[in-house]
Amino acid sequence: MRTLVGWGLFAVMAPCPVRVLPAQERTTVGGYGEVHYANPTGPKTPPVVNLARFVVYLAHSFDDRLAFRSELEVEDAKLEGGRPGGEVALEQAYLDYRVAGWITLRTGLVLPPVGIVNETHEPPTFNGVERPGFDHDVIPTTWREIGVGAVGTVPGGSGLAYRVYLVNGLRADGLSAGEGIREGRQEGRQASFANPSMTGRLEWARPGVKIGGSFWYGGTADTNSAVGTGTFGAPVALLSADARYDNGPFAMRAVVATISVSDAEAINATYGQSVGSRIAGGYLEGAYDLLRLFAPASSQKLNAFVRHERYDTQASVPAGVTRDRSLARRITTVGVTYKPTWNTAFKGDYRLLRNAAGAGEGEVLSLGVGYQF
Amino acid sequence: MKRALALLLLTAQTPGGPPAKVAASIARLFGPGARVDTLQVDSGSVLRVSRADSLLGFAAVGNVLGKDQPITFLVAVDPTDRLKDVDILVYREPYGGEVAYEPWRRQFRGKSARDSLRVGKEIRSISGATISVHAVTIGVRRVLAQLTAWHASGTIR
Repeated sequence: MRTLVGWGLFAVMAPCPVRVLPAQERTTVGGYGEVHYANPTGPKTPPVVNLARFVVYLAHSFDDRLAFRSELEVEDAKLEGGRPGGEVALEQAYLDYRVAGWITLRTGLVLPPVGIVNETHEPPTFNGVERPGFDHDVIPTTWREIGVGAVGTVPGGSGLAYRVYLVNGLRADGLSAGEGIREGRQEGRQASFANPSMTGRLEWARPGVKIGGSFWYGGTADTNSAVGTGTFGAPVALLSADARYDNGPFAMRAVVATISVSDAEAINATYGQSVGSRIAGGYLEGAYDLLRLFAPASSQKLNAFVRHERYDTQASVPAGVTRDRSLARRITTVGVTYKPTWNTAFKGDYRLLRNAAGAGEGEVLSLGVGYQF
Repeated sequence: MKRALALLLLTAQTPGGPPAKVAASIARLFGPGARVDTLQVDSGSVLRVSRADSLLGFAAVGNVLGKDQPITFLVAVDPTDRLKDVDILVYREPYGGEVAYEPWRRQFRGKSARDSLRVGKEIRSISGATISVHAVTIGVRRVLAQLTAWHASGTIR
């Protein structure tokens, strides 16, 4: 259970016809994490175990409307000078001011509301030990930047919710052929604000259904006029759509995205890269809760799932770049997720990594545990 | 589930009638002009709704912890202890507000304390609102059971 510090009276069931709560300050602690085991096929690829993520959620309410929320993450268990891997980073850190139900103003280090996994990334919320490859190479999760914005639900019970932010831009010098815009993220670290960017999302929800559309638009040139000039120099434009459907034992989700890097030629000439002028792809996943067959009364879940991803970080290339067909990836993952509670997960899956060039293909067996609270 | 422990006690008591949001919710559920009496029960209280000497039902307000904020909700039952509706009176968090949508709340109507109310079974979840869905479902289950027990024992009548 989430720990409440400084909250006077709680854990007592007592309905009463009063809605006023004391405007008392309180701090909430939560968290999530995941441990992975990965065994790639082939010689000289020993299995690896890794404490992939350990994240502490810390929130504080100053009064009924003003709250601070944050996630502090340790990746790969340990950070040590001169050794690869390991990261300590803030994933989120922002202040929320709830003006009304339909609008909360937000400022700080925020998550661009793009796709499914970037905002909802706790391990029990997705199938598969690793996040989908698409959510690494196309939508670079966990993507966070600094800015201001607003979030809320459209009044009137329409089922619509929105989020919109003005944040710092990506940096062209981080763009790459294989990982698209991923290393262009600035992640709140002395970030250049030369190219303020807009990002937002509109989503529609019903029980068991959520459909969303997201965008990002902004320049990447920073101060390098060889790449582009002006606020929107060397722009990156992203459009994405996603859908989740959940009906008793059956669940499915799908995401597609297309990213245009219109000045990829200038970026490549300046930084010696082979960035695609278009990055695109998506995935489709279906899952079935096997416990519905064997133990229909159980509140636990045993999801068998299959996911197929297709994406290409060089879907189009600018002049001067020969398409590397090994970047046109096809990843099929089959596996199971056992959830004794809704917020814990034991996972196992088998991934088939394929690409259009047939080069460097492989298979990976993974096991993992994940939790959130 | 341990989240049930997060049911919060409301500490303030308002003398006189129920606050405007509760009154509006009662009017929507039981029709305008119904008589509302506040019954003190244990440490909390229950609203008795009637019209011209005939009992229309009972209602109670509960609070449950979402991700980091309490969610204030109202549960209304008819004289046979069947759930009339759930209302989200105050939702304070920036995510998960979908629990206030009518298509989700509608799933509770007609349920009694004997019915099982489980997320993913009788109650469909909403992606991206999982914490609030579980919290409100547990809260409704508790308040419904409490109202039913009080009614059966004659504590409220």
